[in-house]
Amino acid sequence: MGQGQSGQAGFPGGGGKAPEKKDQQEKKKKWEPPAPPPRVGRKQRRRDKGATLGTQLPVITPNAKCKLRLLKLERVKDWLLMEEEFVQTQEQLKPQEDRNEEDRTKVDDIRGSPMSVGSLEEIIDENHAIVTSSVGAEYYVNMLSIVDRTELEPGSSILLHNKVLSVVGTLTDETDPMVSVMKVEKAPQESYADVGGLEQQIMEIKEAVELPLTHPELYEDIGIKPPKGVILYGEPGTGKTLLAKAVAHSTSASFLRVVGSELIQKYLGDGPKLVRELFRVADDMAPSIVFIDEIDAIGTKRYESQSGGEREIQRTMLELLNQMDGFDSMGDVKVIMATNRIDSLDPALIRPGRIDRKIEFPLPNVKTKRRIFAIHTSKMTLAEDVNLEEFVLAKDDLSGADIKAACTEAGLLALRERRMRVTHADFKKAKEKVLYKKKEGVPEGLYM
Amino acid sequence: MAIEKDTEMKDAAEPPKAKPSEASNKKKMKNGKPVVEEEELSEEDLELKNRLELFVERAKDSDSDIQGVALDGIGKEIREATTSMTSVPKPLKFLRKHYPGLVQHFKTLSSSSPNFHKFADILSVLAITSATEGDVRPSLSFRLQGSQDNIVSWGHEYLRNLAGEIGEDYQSRRESQASADDLLALVKQIAPHHMAHNAEPEAVDLLLEVEQLAWLKQYVDEKNYSRTCLYLLSCCAYLPEGDDVAVLRTAYDIYTHMSKWQDALRVALQMNERSLIEESFKSAGSSQIEQQQQGYLLARQGVRLDLEDDSSATHVADEGLRERLQGIVGNARLSEWYLALARDLDVMEPRTPEDVYKLHLAEGRAPAGPAVDSARQNMSSSLVNGLVNAGFGQDKLMTVTTEASTSGSDRVHWVFKNKDQGKTVAVASLGLITLWDIGGGLAQIDKYLYSKDPHVVAGALLGVGVINSSVADENDPAFALLYEPISSSDPVIRSGAILGLALAYAGTGKSEVNDLLLPFIGDTDASMETTALAALALGLVHVASAQEDAVEAILQALMIRSETQLSDPWAKLLILGLGLLFLGKQEAVEATIEVAKTLNEKISQFCQVTLTVCAFAGTGDVLKVQELLGLASQHIETEDATAWKACHQGPSVMGIALVAMAEDLGSRMAHRALEHLLQYGEPPIRRSVPLAIALLHVSEPSIGAVDTLSRLSHDADSEVAQNALVALGIVGAGTNNARMAGILRSLSSYYYKEPTMLFLVRAAQGLVHMGKGLLTLHPRHTDGQLLSWVGLASLLTVMFSSLEMKATIGGKHPHLLYCLAPAMRPRMLLTLDEQEQLLPVAVRVGQAVDTVAQAGRPKTITGFQTHTTPVLLSIGERAELGTQKYLPITPVLEGIVILKPNPEYIETAE
Repeated sequence: MGQGQSGQAGFPGGGGKAPEKKDQQEKKKKWEPPAPPPRVGRKQRRRDKGATLGTQLPVITPNAKCKLRLLKLERVKDWLLMEEEFVQTQEQLKPQEDRNEEDRTKVDDIRGSPMSVGSLEEIIDENHAIVTSSVGAEYYVNMLSIVDRTELEPGSSILLHNKVLSVVGTLTDETDPMVSVMKVEKAPQESYADVGGLEQQIMEIKEAVELPLTHPELYEDIGIKPPKGVILYGEPGTGKTLLAKAVAHSTSASFLRVVGSELIQKYLGDGPKLVRELFRVADDMAPSIVFIDEIDAIGTKRYESQSGGEREIQRTMLELLNQMDGFDSMGDVKVIMATNRIDSLDPALIRPGRIDRKIEFPLPNVKTKRRIFAIHTSKMTLAEDVNLEEFVLAKDDLSGADIKAACTEAGLLALRERRMRVTHADFKKAKEKVLYKKKEGVPEGLYM
Repeated sequence: MAIEKDTEMKDAAEPPKAKPSEASNKKKMKNGKPVVEEEELSEEDLELKNRLELFVERAKDSDSDIQGVALDGIGKEIREATTSMTSVPKPLKFLRKHYPGLVQHFKTLSSSSPNFHKFADILSVLAITSATEGDVRPSLSFRLQGSQDNIVSWGHEYLRNLAGEIGEDYQSRRESQASADDLLALVKQIAPHHMAHNAEPEAVDLLLEVEQLAWLKQYVDEKNYSRTCLYLLSCCAYLPEGDDVAVLRTAYDIYTHMSKWQDALRVALQMNERSLIEESFKSAGSSQIEQQQQGYLLARQGVRLDLEDDSSATHVADEGLRERLQGIVGNARLSEWYLALARDLDVMEPRTPEDVYKLHLAEGRAPAGPAVDSARQNMSSSLVNGLVNAGFGQDKLMTVTTEASTSGSDRVHWVFKNKDQGKTVAVASLGLITLWDIGGGLAQIDKYLYSKDPHVVAGALLGVGVINSSVADENDPAFALLYEPISSSDPVIRSGAILGLALAYAGTGKSEVNDLLLPFIGDTDASMETTALAALALGLVHVASAQEDAVEAILQALMIRSETQLSDPWAKLLILGLGLLFLGKQEAVEATIEVAKTLNEKISQFCQVTLTVCAFAGTGDVLKVQELLGLASQHIETEDATAWKACHQGPSVMGIALVAMAEDLGSRMAHRALEHLLQYGEPPIRRSVPLAIALLHVSEPSIGAVDTLSRLSHDADSEVAQNALVALGIVGAGTNNARMAGILRSLSSYYYKEPTMLFLVRAAQGLVHMGKGLLTLHPRHTDGQLLSWVGLASLLTVMFSSLEMKATIGGKHPHLLYCLAPAMRPRMLLTLDEQEQLLPVAVRVGQAVDTVAQAGRPKTITGFQTHTTPVLLSIGERAELGTQKYLPITPVLEGIVILKPNPEYIETAE
């Protein structure tokens, strides 16, 4: 009620000023078209990018290799060539730099120097926002019209005028530094050749992850949607991570790797945010492969939990669920997960549609063991008496990692005695040592 | 490299028949214990390897029997090999290193040897993985030496590879003019196999490469004809000239072969080949319903056939049927159907311009007070009123107050609240309101014909034209009414009559019109305005026909007119009239362009460009686009006196859109070009960019286009802003788009002080709400496959007039906006039963999906909603019948569709 009255009371005065104001507005409008509605947030910005006239190239259908596709692609190429020609002649006649030079100096003048960096707390209306400067205090300031509103979102870094602290620009380093670390810049050394056996698994992972990115038309020909993700599971040391490394080594797609535990963050909401960011970056860099190792760190079954930490972990997983098969399509992003405890994972995580293929990594069989031994001993100098077959055929449960450990151990034993060759005895001892370590704590034969 | 790539996609290595077995195989491996299987597999591998090596040894044996057995063995292994799609089949892998040896041995073999062919077969298959890079088409060369039969047994991937090599070889042979009979023999085996195994695109590609499309006809059957033709039709926009016609012709033949008359007619219309149109119409004669359905399509495209004349190919003997068909083709019941749609959607209630402006929603300043000249305001109100109530036969300004004025003497009829051209617009709007309704409309407009005020008479004449646009009546009332006033001495009445004639007979090619109009064009004493209007009228009437008399007369006029006359803005419309005659005629325009080069330099280039863009409209011809972009990239220094130097750039920019508008890819790419033009272009170019955008988005307010236009409508250059306003109207035409309405509302308060701008904003508002959202201006129809030349011509008329806004729409001739009438069509889907009665059925309406060359039976629409007919269809939407009870006569559900009961339908109790 009070508000209404004061509004009425203020009216006559406002009416008196109105004509002046109108003129001012009119003038303003002359040089500035009505600003677009305020938009906040990233998703929207991405959509806007596609909506403007002609920045994106049209999607070419069909995907199958046929003449129609060729013709369409050629047509697009023709158009692009024409554009190139046009832009080149225009640039020759009137270089864009010269034209922009003036504008740029003008903007620089308005910005003033030096500038300071702050962060945006809240956008109040079209032209005003609350910011925090590096000093820490919060200010209610102007946003200059030269700033692209679509780039602004709460929490982003911005440039501030040094005196009046008005927003004069944005700092667009948008990816979370945490995520940029996850990108595998240097391809790992391990290739498929370093994987002993596992032919079936290699084939499956190739079909599910690599082929859809390189030859999507194959899937369309048959009329199926390619799988979105795979989970690798099996005993420890059976080569899950190794295979993922091999995929990273051989693929041309960008490869992001995360460990499940990395996604657990100190502050509430940071974990889900990181997951979101991860998939956003993956989408930006598409085609890409996201590898989440030790997924059981966040992907365990949901249950009534009291502690906030556990609930936060579960929320992180829920975000992961949403990213993998939620409302927004993932596009050219494939997910590989690895765990050795698939039975403890949440069923929603590994349902078809999120994880379409479950690839088991069994303990190596005789033939595979032979291959693994061959791989690990290929660079060792062995004495003549070494008979690897004996170990290969032994009935012990040796995983690939065990075999590697045994070989290393045998080499160390030989080193200890300053021998240049590794003997059969070394191997025997080493194997016993490895096996003993493995069964440590369990009295042998107790439950036999 | 290419070969390696091929081997990677080995998924299709087996013919589809083998697929189930492979799948089951894989399943077995997954379910069973892989450990054991792997062991066996590798033993198998070893065994296989040894066996193959043995075969290879034996194949080199001199004894032909042993050799034969060995070759058979290799062949068997290769055929039976199944493998994952990620790797090369095992036998091919193992045989790779023996390939050079085998080739060596093969060379020593005499061609008379009994195993010669067999050997060549094996080598041909091996060559697809094992050949070295230097070899030229190894697989094919061995194949040609091998046996000629049963090549399909080697699997799909092999055939693909072979088909590729055949294509290449055919090209090189054609260049050296060698015979290609042996290749064609192979093609004869491969193509039917592809056709029979769901690989229609591949078969078409192959036949296209060896130029034997005609063979397709014998391979199609009930199952694959539609996929084949769809592929052919979508290829045609991108093929070089010559091939595209061949492709269309093939599609036509296939459709005729399969007795799909509707499709055949559609293709014939796309080719714009009169003889084929008549042929397909005639061959459908066995079924009355088919012919009626064809009639609806012909009516939409605006093609008139001669049904009466005994000697014509399309003569219909049965009188009853003939009359019915004539009615259909002449759109006689269009008004009735349209009103049925309106009643069904419950929008019969007339709307006032105020309902459209929604002033209470506009921010702040209402456009009132002394700043606004009320004549203009009333004029825009009449226009908006006409547009909004278009075709409904009733409104609240023109029709209602007639009675009020008779009873209450102090009330002046709306018409007389206007001045000069305002009266013309007001009376002509009556034509819009009673659009297509000849009986009702003419009765209402009749009284204005005898007014003393020339503007009112002009309006009435124009109204007569609007009512009759795209409707043919056997009594030809328009001609009778317009015949006399056209020779009136009053220029206002005369121009009204000319325009009326143009609208009434747009696209009919009526030769009597020539007699009336040609004198104006030839008369050097007539004002440029009259001449230009007459030329425009001729262009609209004989659109896309290159009618000789008309062409000659207009050219003559352009040659004899003096330089000052030619620099008149109306000269441009005169030239457009010439251009419309050549719409879509492509090469036929060459001679006229040559003549245009000799014209006065002030218009010569404008004329050349206009002719080019009109002739190549909707072809997607990239070379023309390049030419036009080249013209638009010039920076011409102009002053007021030399502004004519740059005037050809306007049509060249519009031309880019015009050439590209017929296919999606081109129009999307044209956007990018337009964006560049906006960025770099000089004022004359920037001015026509909004119009070009509008051409690409007629009645299709996509967000990108609307945003750009809304930005341009605030441009500092007032001509850019004006054109952007016209463009906004055309983009939103008949969509009732709320976003556009909002933008226009804020524009109306933004421009409240500038009468011309405000008039254009109002016109745009009227267009957006045209026919209360039931109409469309889009010239493309029938799934975007056909381009209605009449519709396009009327759009172009308005757009070219906007280039000279001051002299035309923004000045004394606002009624030029009525030229849009021939382009107006209800955007509906109406279903009729066999007795031509409305038949409401459930249909699904959704976004159209490109299903060309997709595997299986993909959905043609997505995100659909189920409605009951009649329904509205927007651009980019498609409909499907939602019930099995009826079968549509035509596969494209658009406009008016006849349904027949499905004989196989069984009523299920629910």
